[in-house]
Amino acid sequence: MAFKGLKIGLLAATTAAMLAGAQGVAAQEGKSITTVVKISGIPWFDRMKTGVEKYAQEHSDMKIEQVGPATADSAQQLQIVQDLVARGVDALAVVPMDPAILEGVLKRAMDRGIVVVTHEADNQKNTMADVEAFDNAEYGAALNERLAKCMDGKGKWTTFVGSLGSRTHMQWVGAGEENAKKYPDMELVDPNNESFDDAQGTYEKAKEILRKHPDIKGFQTSAGNDVLGVGRAIEEAGLAGKVCLVGTGLPNPSAAYLDSGAITAIGFWDPQKAGMAMNSLATKILAGEEITDGMDLGVDGYHSVSVRPGAGDGVLVVGNGMVLVDKDTYKETLF
Amino acid sequence: MTMVQEMNDRSTPKRPEDKLTIWETLRRRPEMVTLTILVVICVAVSIINPNFLQPGSLIDMGRASVVTGLFALGVFAILAAGGIDVSFTAIAALTMYSLTKFVITVAPDLPMAAIIAIAVVAGALLGAVNGLLVHGLRVPSLIVTIGTQYLFRGILLAFVGTVWLMELPPQMTAFGKAALYQFQGANGVTVDLPAYFLIFPVVVGLAWFLFDRTLMGRAIFATGGNPEVAARLGYGQRVVHVFVFAFAGALAGLAGIIHVSATRMANPFDLVGTEIEVIAAVVLGGARITGGTGSVLGTVAGVLLITVVSNTLVLVGIPSTWQRLVVGAFILLAAAFFVRRKQKPKQRKAE
Repeated sequence: MAFKGLKIGLLAATTAAMLAGAQGVAAQEGKSITTVVKISGIPWFDRMKTGVEKYAQEHSDMKIEQVGPATADSAQQLQIVQDLVARGVDALAVVPMDPAILEGVLKRAMDRGIVVVTHEADNQKNTMADVEAFDNAEYGAALNERLAKCMDGKGKWTTFVGSLGSRTHMQWVGAGEENAKKYPDMELVDPNNESFDDAQGTYEKAKEILRKHPDIKGFQTSAGNDVLGVGRAIEEAGLAGKVCLVGTGLPNPSAAYLDSGAITAIGFWDPQKAGMAMNSLATKILAGEEITDGMDLGVDGYHSVSVRPGAGDGVLVVGNGMVLVDKDTYKETLF
Repeated sequence: MTMVQEMNDRSTPKRPEDKLTIWETLRRRPEMVTLTILVVICVAVSIINPNFLQPGSLIDMGRASVVTGLFALGVFAILAAGGIDVSFTAIAALTMYSLTKFVITVAPDLPMAAIIAIAVVAGALLGAVNGLLVHGLRVPSLIVTIGTQYLFRGILLAFVGTVWLMELPPQMTAFGKAALYQFQGANGVTVDLPAYFLIFPVVVGLAWFLFDRTLMGRAIFATGGNPEVAARLGYGQRVVHVFVFAFAGALAGLAGIIHVSATRMANPFDLVGTEIEVIAAVVLGGARITGGTGSVLGTVAGVLLITVVSNTLVLVGIPSTWQRLVVGAFILLAAAFFVRRKQKPKQRKAE
């Protein structure tokens, strides 16, 4: 432990020396941005890593990397952020596992002059800017609009959420319900089924709904595995193409069901772009630029971001990074 | 001991018309309680929503009970021997994911029978690790298996992989899709009874034979009842411990590979987290958490009860938020009954 402390001390000393030396040169040169993800090694954050690496290539004068804990554990993520703060990085781009747990360390980081940017944490108080790929209400409405189009604006439909405590999921289905009011012939039945992001459980529940409502025409789902569970139930029942399914999902896992017609369309945001947007924003803050409404982060989907007040002193930077793909278009963004 | 007591029960003549005799039967055969609750629920659900009686929904229940059922029989063996296991889901996840990855990358032509055999053996070996640790360290099995759950899952996520495998080898997909029986429902919905469902009754039969007809079954109940006496009677404790954990591990490996084939994807984050539900099913089936009692039939009834309860709540219109509440209430209800049944009949008369 003593050794570790010494090492960190040395590192901090060297970094401080480097910082002192770097001052006066161009603002971002030699500066470091570290992206901290929820969990490393899963497809979502592997995809984000490709964005971070791409950004690093474009900015070879800066030190840009991505790290994350091996398991989805907010305590491990906290440890990593603490180490990075002690090491004295210039900027942190964090995708918090649990925003509340990181509040303290992020405040300490900002007190030390580290730039803090977050993603997927619009309730994070201690951040300079939280980047959101899209407006949650707009996303939910867009999913529902796609569903309504498939259902011809009529018939029974239902919704799935990861859990009732999942804020974004509830926002999505809430906006979906609101949107469906445009179609008086659409009837919402047994809404807000909890899937716990478990494809098997979702499958059982979807089968049950198909049995209770043999005339159901549509499903709007929220958690990443929901489309797989509901899709399998629809496919096995021989209803592919007859029952519509629109939900959040990833192209690669959903490919087979999109091809068979069991999944009508999936919505998501590209973590590659989100990773680049976070780093781009951090670079701008490091360079002393002001964050303004309509500014261009130089990343697709974030060319004209809207800036709103955040949960704390920071701002909420909302892009237009929503991606909605179906059978014909999913191959363009396969990951 | 319990085994002897149960055998005597079977020779006791039963007169169902006599109220006291019914009570006596329920008292001695707790699985009858579970079966009764099960029947009552099924009748209630069919009255509320006659759709429940469609063959399709019964088939779905059967299908949904396979993986939980296999897990539960393994847990039952361990509970009967006086232990507990929370690592079986991690064993299943580690086995199913590693094996699927192995088949995809190394041996794409491996026949399904061999895949199943490897899953069972690998699961048994991992389970045996639990058994050896429990016996060797003399530590409560709860502590050991919490440790191995983290260990097995850690190995899986750190060294084997974290990526969803969506493209399964064709023989596994075929195994998961093979239908014993298929028919069209009223609304053009196809329902099929998958062939893998057969594995469950076969394993139930084997487990029944093991517990009711072999010396090992006797040794397991004896160990669960009183380990010191069992050891003095000559039942090797090491063998019993390793056997029950290996048995649970083997069933977990089997359940894992069925889970992958049925869901048509290998998700390394699956299964772990369902162990409490499985243990609940076994306890609902009449096995005492302190060991020495229970039956295979009761365990099956417990599994069916849990499956029916968690698969009919939407059908009867109970919202998602209430589902855990209902399941919890059933567990407490059954537990309360099992405590009451331990009272002597004479005391009851005095009441």
